[in-house]
Amino acid sequence: MENTDNMLVVDCVSKAYTGHQALDQVSLSVPRGKVYGLLGPNGAGKTTLIRIINHITAPDSGTVTFDGHPLTAADVPWIGYLPEERGLYKKMRVGDQALFFARLKGLSKADAERSLHEWFEKLGIESWWNKKVEELSKGMAQKVQFIVTVLHNPRLLIFDEPFSGFDPINANVLKKEILELRDKGATVIFSTHNMASVEELCDNITLINKSRNILTGEVAELRRRFSDNTFELGYTGPTAALLSAIEPMITRYEITGTDRDGITRLKLSLVADDAVRPLVTKAAEAVQFRSFNPILPSMDEIFIRTVEANNLFNK
Amino acid sequence: MSALSIIISREYLERVKRKSFIISTILMPIFMVGMMMAPALITIFSGPEEKVIAVIDDTAVIAPTLQNGDEIRFRNITDGLEAAKGNEDYDAILVIGRDAVSRPEGNISLYTRGASSMQTEEYIAAMLEKSIENRRIDAYQIDNLRQIMDEVQVDVQLSTFRIDAESESETSSILSYILGISTMFILYMFILLYGQMVMTSIIEEKNNRVLELVVSSVKPTVLMMGKIVGIGLVAITQILIWAVLLVACSVWLMPALLSAAAQDAADPAAISAISQLGDPAFMTGLFAWLVLFLIGGYLFYSSIFAAIGSAVDNIQDASQLTTVAVVPIMLGIVFAMTAVNDPNSGLAFWCSIIPFTSPMVMMARLPFGIAWWQPVVSFAVLALSFLGMIWVAAKIYRVGIFMYGKKPTVVELIRWIKIK
Repeated sequence: MENTDNMLVVDCVSKAYTGHQALDQVSLSVPRGKVYGLLGPNGAGKTTLIRIINHITAPDSGTVTFDGHPLTAADVPWIGYLPEERGLYKKMRVGDQALFFARLKGLSKADAERSLHEWFEKLGIESWWNKKVEELSKGMAQKVQFIVTVLHNPRLLIFDEPFSGFDPINANVLKKEILELRDKGATVIFSTHNMASVEELCDNITLINKSRNILTGEVAELRRRFSDNTFELGYTGPTAALLSAIEPMITRYEITGTDRDGITRLKLSLVADDAVRPLVTKAAEAVQFRSFNPILPSMDEIFIRTVEANNLFNK
Repeated sequence: MSALSIIISREYLERVKRKSFIISTILMPIFMVGMMMAPALITIFSGPEEKVIAVIDDTAVIAPTLQNGDEIRFRNITDGLEAAKGNEDYDAILVIGRDAVSRPEGNISLYTRGASSMQTEEYIAAMLEKSIENRRIDAYQIDNLRQIMDEVQVDVQLSTFRIDAESESETSSILSYILGISTMFILYMFILLYGQMVMTSIIEEKNNRVLELVVSSVKPTVLMMGKIVGIGLVAITQILIWAVLLVACSVWLMPALLSAAAQDAADPAAISAISQLGDPAFMTGLFAWLVLFLIGGYLFYSSIFAAIGSAVDNIQDASQLTTVAVVPIMLGIVFAMTAVNDPNSGLAFWCSIIPFTSPMVMMARLPFGIAWWQPVVSFAVLALSFLGMIWVAAKIYRVGIFMYGKKPTVVELIRWIKIK
């Protein structure tokens, strides 16, 4: 193996349904012990890819390597999957249900029970053990489903929109748990449309659009790459003098506002990377220099820009 | 424990533990017995509805001989027909013409208020026949003719014995008929009820999306098999409970029935029926076949129901596709009904071999005592067809469970089989 530090490697995977190409030569590598974001517009093929990783469906071509070997049915117990469309048996009691799913993943009854009680205690839901799922609220059922996903200590966790249906407090609890699982060595694949949580949680991402992988990389690196040398300059003093002093070095600018202390904020894009130093020198000569910060684009912006460019290109 | 057995035990326990299962298992026999006894109870409580028949007898000899029945009272009147028609006390008016004894045709009429029942008409006709017959016998003026004729009359009751069976056992056609019909209906009820339970349960799983979670742990085929087997075990549990209840009841009732039959020695049909019913070898054999065909028929049809369930999103969409399964079951009932009348006809034979109708038709034929190899062949064909059907169902299921939104046709289902 070239890089044994990958938990999962998807290589040139394609999958077609009747009259519809769901995945077209998609490749990605998920580093061990990281949170990996799987992004893309609705219908891009994320669910199909997740199903292939879960060994629910088989790809038409391409390979999936799990922990250094080709993925087989025997690896399924090492994967935990929280599907986007949540569902539990409504008439079944919470405890019985969690036990059922844990045992399907290969846990013995005793192990499953012990581990379950630990999790129920941890999330403070022990009193639900004998309740039927239909008696629970949506958010409560989601918590149970989360436990079902992580109970068997999977090495690879796949969360599809894990925070939908949660209030901010519970979403935070969940976030904390996901990061804790990662810190204990689990690898997490995280599929969502909530870009704020991607910035917060993900180390790497892949963006899929129209069945293809159109963007892959580390979140921090991508945000730098997409920043277009955009900075925000805070100053007090004559704006006209400042603009004339720095004009040769910027491509565009925008005054975003002046605050109570009289500090004006100017958003600007540099012509080149190495223009930072001369710009700061010139600006300091023209005005009272207060602050100078790079502006990183949000994942939202990166998502929209990349997908729109890709759609334009593929028309 | 393997994934399959975990699925089976979940499907089984979740159903058997449910209150509705316990209640229906207890209530069903009570309901059945109630259904059988309802007509008798209704007549007891409603009491006999007496009908008054006014008789206008121009011969003057017939009317006095007409005997009142339980529900029919004859009243000889002298009013004219029109006057009688106006009298609300009379439910019907019987007019006997002058030449009725020599020429009854066209000379006897019945005028009724509202529709008369078949039973009433039969009773009146029988009374008239007897009366006219007696008038005619009297007309010959031969001494003791009545007695002679009574002596001449015979009533033959056949005692049928099977000579092709191992021992020349006495068989009862009427009992075979009743057993054939009832076992066939049990089979029909179970196949339809539990087959559809498989379908509904799959639709439910698909509908509330728990399916995605289950198939991320086990293969779809394993889930489908586990469901079919688990629900099948529920069916067997229920039928075993009923069998135990039935055996307990018959052990308790049989001596009473036998002694009642012994007193009523004139009816050999009843005696042979009851003795056959009490024959343990015959009954256990029949019960064993019932269970086998129940399992075979259930497995075969539940595979079809499973495939249908996987293809649709909700029960409403399923109705159209279920005809594919329900029509052959109905045909099984129809052919089984003809089979009990002629258990050895070619039609009955072939319908009891073809897997779609074989469970019902074979159960209808079995009590009549057919060659031993026939149920064996029939069962073997059914078992093989089940294997074929479950293979097809698994193919459809695997594709169907991920199809949301559109209502597939049978043609589309067949196309899914070919997807690799």
